[in-house]
Amino acid sequence: MKAFAYVNPTSEKEAVAALKTDGIAMVIGGGQDLLSRMKDYIDSPDRVVNVKGLDATVTATSDGGVKIGSAVKIVDLAEHAAVMSLYPSVAAAAIEVGTPQIRNQGTVGGNINQRPRCWYFRNEEFVCYKKGGSRCFAVNGENQYHAIFGNDGPSHIVHPSSLAVPFVAYGAKFRVLGPNGEREIAAADYFTMPTLANVLKENVLDDEDILTHVILPAPGNVKHGHYEVRYKQSHDWPLAFTTVVLVMNGVNGTSGANGTSGSTIRSARVVLGAVAPVPWRSRPAEDALAGKALNEATAALAGEAAISEAKPMSGNAYKIQIAKTAVKRAVMRAAGIKTV
Amino acid sequence: MSSRARKAVGRNVLRKEGHDKVTGAARYIDDLTFPGLLHARTIRSTIPAGEIVKVRFKGDRAGFTLVDHHDIPGRNIVALIDEDQPCLAERKIRHVAEPILLLVHEDREKLRAADVQIEYRPSTPNYDPERSAITFKKIAIDKGDLDAGFAAADVIVEGEYRTGLQEQLYIETNGVIAVPGSSVAGAAGGITVYGSMQCPYYVHRALVILLGLPAGKVRVIQTETGGGFGGKEEYPSMMAGHAALAALKTGRPVKLVYDRVEDMLATTKRHPSIVRHRTGVTRDGRLTAIDIDAVLDGGAYATLSAVVLSRGMIHAAGPYRCDHIRIRGRATMTNTPPNGAFRGFGAPQTQFAAEVHMDRIAERLGLDPVRVREINALRPGDTTATGQRLGKDSSALQVLREAVTRTGFRKRRRALAGTNRGIGLSLFFHGSGFTGAGEVKLAAKASLALTHKGARIHVASTEIGQGTRTMLAQIVADALGVRYDDVDVNAADTGEVPDSGPTVASRTCMIVGRILERCAEEMRARLGRLTPRQYLRAFGPLVITKQYERPAGMVWDDTVYKGDAYGSYGWGCDVVEVEVDRDTYEVRPTAFTTVHEIGKAIHPMLAVGQIEGGSAQGLGYAILEDVVMRDGRMANATLTNYIIPTSLDTPPMQVVLLENPYPHGPSGAKGVGEMPIDGPAPAVINALRHAGFDLREIPATPERVMLTSSVESTQRTPRTPRKSQAWV
Ligand SMILES: Cc1cc2nc3c(=O)[nH]c(=O)nc-3n(C[C@H](O)[C@H](O)[C@H](O)COP(=O)(O)OP(=O)(O)OC[C@H]3O[C@@H](n4cnc5c(N)ncnc54)[C@H](O)[C@@H]3O)c2cc1C
Ligand code: SF4
Repeated sequence: MKAFAYVNPTSEKEAVAALKTDGIAMVIGGGQDLLSRMKDYIDSPDRVVNVKGLDATVTATSDGGVKIGSAVKIVDLAEHAAVMSLYPSVAAAAIEVGTPQIRNQGTVGGNINQRPRCWYFRNEEFVCYKKGGSRCFAVNGENQYHAIFGNDGPSHIVHPSSLAVPFVAYGAKFRVLGPNGEREIAAADYFTMPTLANVLKENVLDDEDILTHVILPAPGNVKHGHYEVRYKQSHDWPLAFTTVVLVMNGVNGTSGANGTSGSTIRSARVVLGAVAPVPWRSRPAEDALAGKALNEATAALAGEAAISEAKPMSGNAYKIQIAKTAVKRAVMRAAGIKTV
Repeated sequence: MSSRARKAVGRNVLRKEGHDKVTGAARYIDDLTFPGLLHARTIRSTIPAGEIVKVRFKGDRAGFTLVDHHDIPGRNIVALIDEDQPCLAERKIRHVAEPILLLVHEDREKLRAADVQIEYRPSTPNYDPERSAITFKKIAIDKGDLDAGFAAADVIVEGEYRTGLQEQLYIETNGVIAVPGSSVAGAAGGITVYGSMQCPYYVHRALVILLGLPAGKVRVIQTETGGGFGGKEEYPSMMAGHAALAALKTGRPVKLVYDRVEDMLATTKRHPSIVRHRTGVTRDGRLTAIDIDAVLDGGAYATLSAVVLSRGMIHAAGPYRCDHIRIRGRATMTNTPPNGAFRGFGAPQTQFAAEVHMDRIAERLGLDPVRVREINALRPGDTTATGQRLGKDSSALQVLREAVTRTGFRKRRRALAGTNRGIGLSLFFHGSGFTGAGEVKLAAKASLALTHKGARIHVASTEIGQGTRTMLAQIVADALGVRYDDVDVNAADTGEVPDSGPTVASRTCMIVGRILERCAEEMRARLGRLTPRQYLRAFGPLVITKQYERPAGMVWDDTVYKGDAYGSYGWGCDVVEVEVDRDTYEVRPTAFTTVHEIGKAIHPMLAVGQIEGGSAQGLGYAILEDVVMRDGRMANATLTNYIIPTSLDTPPMQVVLLENPYPHGPSGAKGVGEMPIDGPAPAVINALRHAGFDLREIPATPERVMLTSSVESTQRTPRTPRKSQAWV
């Protein structure tokens, strides 16, 4: 990799200030993504700004939610007592990320802001839209792991972050600090669908912005389910996955004998991962769940509804079946029904 | 000599290099440096077929040296079997990533940034091995009378099976350093090459021919090597040539180390195969005729395709008795990077086909898969496809029965029927050592030098993680009657060790180990009652060198492919249980038992390590490992998208060792390195068949399993066997 200057700021403000330079400055968290991009010459920053020294705590907020510092390690998120009890799908997503080494080193901020895994993006030789070029090689090339939703282009990546999906499902806000101060953005608005104008990035962050916190609201009377389908059990990304957060009518948790919940679903959030350029909120699936009893039949309907919008590419139609299954099984998990 | 020394063979002694590896003291090629070191970068073709029209270096050339084919003093070939592969392309391009020239500079970053542009006149590439105009090698094996065999059959079963490319994926990528002038005895004009490799004398020979130097001016030294799996059998010869040319041109040491992407894009992989079987069988399950036609995709140059094909064809009929066999095989050229040596060397491909076919035969006859194998398994005294009469150390039935008993196979099979799980098995064998007359032609040598405490081993066999040094020292310690700790092992340095042949073909223990055992036996006799120290004081240095001797009665005729193809065979049986997710088509192996008969386990823990590692690699081959080729180029040449199994993807393994000694192996040992990779893939596919998925191709990715299930056929219900021309 190319030689670079290393800056180790002691505060958020210093970190933002350090990003101002004539050359290219980049933020480094655990480095699990950035360093491999640098080794592969996808990025060659002149200055690397360490943000592992920023807030690395999970704290309770006054409204019953939690505030997660961007420097929190993925493993610590996965094992945090309040996260596990209030937002089990966040913990479930975190514990499946990569490998133990990646979870021990990777941070929440890095995970949310990691760059796409598209083979062409990761190969120096292919200068595609995302690297300032004027074509997408995946369209007529290898697209077996690419998007099946939101495929209008110009890029057809799937967003690589596992944590982003439950964050969107739980209605998180992201706190961002930049040269002009701080702002809070709903997680769902943070990630951007590609257009020719913004295709170089996957989110709304400017070059001198950093993500400092993820703020999760109190979950309320909800049931949660998270399901990932992976090609292999470690050292890999999911093929497709889903978080569902169900707001229930009536008393929580009265289950019938066959796993059928006594109560009905008031409203649902269904967010799919690894299927679109952003964490993909499925309104059809949410509509299919609203007002229904929580049982396996409803789960199957939600799966069917979710894929009604799918538009696969030449080589990834098989992912539709997988996405459908992920939705169905996430709902089943929320209902406490055994999946496989 | 002391006879009190505790026996080393059969014990799990400490590895010779274990301490250095664990403490980080072991030095790999990229850890080494030399004063004035330069770095080299390989400029490669970006098209699969065509001609080079023009090469242009853009920008400031200061500090750069360019090396191309004009700089080759000897012959522009990578000397191996055929002489078709240039060390640096002159005009013609036959595959993507073909080396064209080298850039040399002292700064790695400058080297990377350098802009070399190559203009080509492209031609139409061929990627289909069956439509290739160039055949590297053909092999024909005939036994008995095929027509008579088919006439005696009640049923004929036919099938086509395919296997994909596989990447060796050693942990340490390929790398070499060439140092000019510091050759043996400091001879000027010579060259010394250090590197990560399996076969120092292959590299030596290739350099002598490329550089036009006398053998004495070329020295090759293996550095600590982080894995090979066959991937460092032939390619280091190419790289050593590149670095040596650059070192000779610049007069300075030159380092050439590939990063992972370059290593995966440019170096050899396992040959893809298409194997067709047509088999005659009686109603009660006896094989009467075996007709096999196989094609291996050799890639752009011949490399080792001829011998990979040879081993593949000899193992193609599986470990089964049959009087009438016809095997036809060919390795052909395609415009893809050359395929080459990989653990198993052709046998995993052909035994995949044989074993999946065997389950289909069983299914067709309504027999259980164990029964057909019991009926047909080779027994001592039977003859193989090449007519080799098997000795007492043939254990097909033992390994099969052991595996079936250990796993309660038949009961499990009934219990799992109709669930989302399946259980399957595979029976396989693997010849140890070079094929046919290979060992006689090679005439490997090994030396043993007496030291004050014991002895020092001098062999060119390399330690590549599999335990060569340890295992050879154990053999010598017992034969000489000294402690294991008092035997040490010289570096594999062609300036200091004789040519004991390459570290391939599961030959190091059985062949080189046996030569050393003979050296040690003679040394012991020479010492008589003296201790090594007393002997050295009285008589001075003692070095004993011996050469391979063919066991009496072994014959091989290369022209008709008849005779004793291998001194001995190892035998194995794998049983795998898989679970299939019927919604997502994920396949997960959940239980794995393997029985290996290997003659004698010199170091049981290392032997089990080989079996576990080889089996995991075989499971990867079966399910996960997918080399995606697009336009003649590997599209997923990184570790994040070419995926191999981790411990989480590998089921608990039960490894059972059986020992049926080979009289001409050291303490009865045969080879163990390659055989473990022969069995897992067919066992997995047979387990999938049991679960209702009729696959004939690996890797069994979810996409493939899904497609198979949609054509799930009626073949699952065994039909009434009848004499038939209706092919299954
Ligand atoms: C084999 C493998 C498997 C993996 N599997 C998964 C998986 O299953 N799921 C998953 O989600 N990920 C997976 N990953 C990716 C890995 O989890 C992420 O790369 C990791 O979480 C990144 O965290 P980090 O702190 O190391 O990021 P870094 O590499 O430090 O940073 C990643 C990017 O985010 C930017 N960044 C970091 N912190 C901030 C901040 N505070 N504000 C703004 N920008 C910031 C950096 O500039 C950089 O561009 C896998 C990676 C590998 C190698
Ligand atoms: S999908 Fe996106 S990242 Fe991949 S090639 Fe197309 S534009 Fe580039």
